[in-house]
Amino acid sequence: MAITLKPVDVAVVGLGAAGGVAVLPLCRAGLKVAGIEAGTWMDPHKDFKADEIHNNTRGLITTGNKIRREAPTIRNSPTGPSRRGGPSPMMNAIGGTSIHYHAQSWRLKPWDFKTVSETTKRYGRSYIPQGSTVEDWPISYDDLEPYYDIAEIEVGVSGKAGNIKGKLDKEGNIFEGPRQREYPMPHLRTCDYLEMMKKAARSLGWNPFHSPAAINSVPYNGHGACGYHGYCDRGGCHLQAKNSTCFSTIPKAQATKNLTIFDRAQVTRIVADANGKVMGVSYIFNDLEYFQPAKAVLVGSYTYENVRLLLLSKSKAFPNGLGNNKGQVGKHYFGHWDAQAGASASALFPMDLNIWYGAILSQGVVIDEWADDSFDHSGLGFIGGASMTVNTEKHPIAAAGGSTWGQVPRNWGSDWKRWIHQNAGRSASAYIQTNTFPYETTFLDLDPEAKDPLGDPVIRVTTMTRENERKAAMHAQDKAVEWFQAAGAVMTTKGNPNGPNLSTHTYGGTRMGDNPDTSVVDKWGFAHEAPNLGMLGGSVFGTSGARNPTLTIQALAWRTAEHLAKNWKSIAG
Amino acid sequence: MSITRRTVLALVPVAAIRCAAQNPNQPRALTPAQRRTTEMLVDRIIPADELGPGALECGAANYIDIQMADYLAPQREAWVAGLAALDAFALETQGSAFADLSAEKRDAVLMRLTDNGGPQTLQGFFNTARTYTLQGTFGDPHYGGNIGGKGWDIIRYPGPRPATSADMQKMDHEAEPYRRSAWGNE
Repeated sequence: MAITLKPVDVAVVGLGAAGGVAVLPLCRAGLKVAGIEAGTWMDPHKDFKADEIHNNTRGLITTGNKIRREAPTIRNSPTGPSRRGGPSPMMNAIGGTSIHYHAQSWRLKPWDFKTVSETTKRYGRSYIPQGSTVEDWPISYDDLEPYYDIAEIEVGVSGKAGNIKGKLDKEGNIFEGPRQREYPMPHLRTCDYLEMMKKAARSLGWNPFHSPAAINSVPYNGHGACGYHGYCDRGGCHLQAKNSTCFSTIPKAQATKNLTIFDRAQVTRIVADANGKVMGVSYIFNDLEYFQPAKAVLVGSYTYENVRLLLLSKSKAFPNGLGNNKGQVGKHYFGHWDAQAGASASALFPMDLNIWYGAILSQGVVIDEWADDSFDHSGLGFIGGASMTVNTEKHPIAAAGGSTWGQVPRNWGSDWKRWIHQNAGRSASAYIQTNTFPYETTFLDLDPEAKDPLGDPVIRVTTMTRENERKAAMHAQDKAVEWFQAAGAVMTTKGNPNGPNLSTHTYGGTRMGDNPDTSVVDKWGFAHEAPNLGMLGGSVFGTSGARNPTLTIQALAWRTAEHLAKNWKSIAG
Repeated sequence: MSITRRTVLALVPVAAIRCAAQNPNQPRALTPAQRRTTEMLVDRIIPADELGPGALECGAANYIDIQMADYLAPQREAWVAGLAALDAFALETQGSAFADLSAEKRDAVLMRLTDNGGPQTLQGFFNTARTYTLQGTFGDPHYGGNIGGKGWDIIRYPGPRPATSADMQKMDHEAEPYRRSAWGNE
């Protein structure tokens, strides 16, 4: 028998990158909010260490025990068997994945929101990838711009604008959509390696710029600036200079006194009445079941868990899962084609790069010439492309164990030791992120066999390789190699982008759209079939862009929460 | 290959390091014989030479011994089986248990394995051994390996400072080696 708690206005499921932002506009509007999070607070002094074994080898920040047991399965055909899918970036903590992410904080391009109409206009309908279910988003870049702006300020993003109200600045990204103003902080520190790569890019006629990052380049939000110590990847920030929501928006929401955090509370079902109205959420805390009544529910628990929660929440009104009467929950899923899909390029240089220290992709330089629709695709046989980031931060175990480029016969012994003594600090990679689209045969559903410890099925990912994305990634790899060669690399190598593993960037499953036959939520993020249920996170995306998703997730979360507060009576009344 | 200032710093007497590695209160997983085979194995993966200490002197075997009683405990059985298989293969190809062979003969055993000879399971064991040796040589000293951070000298890693200056990221900058554990001085 569940313990029923005092009703609140809004229950927010998950206090990570998305829910951790949404609580702030809700609380500021005076709504009483329950933030229900499966994890708990992490301690920057005790938990966040400059320790490769802790963060990277063992992944102790990225994956708690709970998540290991809830990790999705994967299969590479719509009829084949599934297998456990390996490491997942989902984590349980206040701050969620924003604790350990690389913090590159991008706005998507205007093209990403209108891929179908823009592609059709420029190249013709035949350029839309075959089998893809991609459609234009129901909103434009301009609709989201004010929310990008507020997310950059409230979360805290450093960077250099390349387009302020149409005025281009070559120090920033000239391919970005128009912004209303400069970033709240200047871009992170440069270094010799990044300057060398900028010079090489300019020699090719390209326009290099520094990564936008949710990391303080100067003191901001009550926290100090980045220490560039080189343990940002898969680690939390000991200086609280990485603007995870646990250091930025969640404390601000707490200051309103309208947020109650229920930590170590695992939401298992969203409860709806016979008319399809959402009544609250059920969660498990300390082996006991609780029911938190709420007038509206926002779900921000990572793409897999968002979909799983809806599919598990069956009721009279929703026999196939909440908001799934048209069978759209889980459809239009796609994982980003990045290094995890095999897209990469690496180089060996003849000198010490001294990139041990740094802040992973956030202390990086980016090329956007070969992403999105920045270049003419006529006759290329694909749409989209990829952004390419070169960056700092090398860890000693990985550096010692890396490729020897065929230069020594064995990867052990004295010859090898001499080689790594000289070369462990001389290689670098480009991080390639490809525009990725949903397809008819890429989707999420409940695994018929694999279950979590509570006995609920885990998510099953169905995905496979894609010709369009493969060509776009290979095109970008060639450009990255050209870039390294222009910088004086003595050897270069390319990846084999053949897709479809689990990515840390996962999209779709509760797609946003105007048409209830092809989407789950409307243009504000609320379910077509359950109007007091909002979805937050990558699960609402219709395209990925060629860049990290988090700032877009946060801008959308703010917009959805603000819409709820402004239309409280009509949505929750 | 020049001997750098850091390399010279790395040339601490081996006996002193071995001593530091033997904390009697730390639980260990291996029998003396298993420990010795482990030591003789990591010793060839990263040998001591003119560049300074190798994996053994850095404490990689100690790392494996301690971690097999801790985080790597689920791997202990496979590790012990791998050591036995290595001994059997050494006996078959070089006429003696692995730990009793000279450095040259131990190299010959491992070369057979890594040049694609010998049983496949033993090749897999070698890859695992190399992975743990890297962890125990280049990982944080907190886990029983990389004693005094000496492994970092092998690859000229400047060390896990809590914060760095812009100068420390210059290409020609040779930072003073920082050799503390992220978990405090040990």
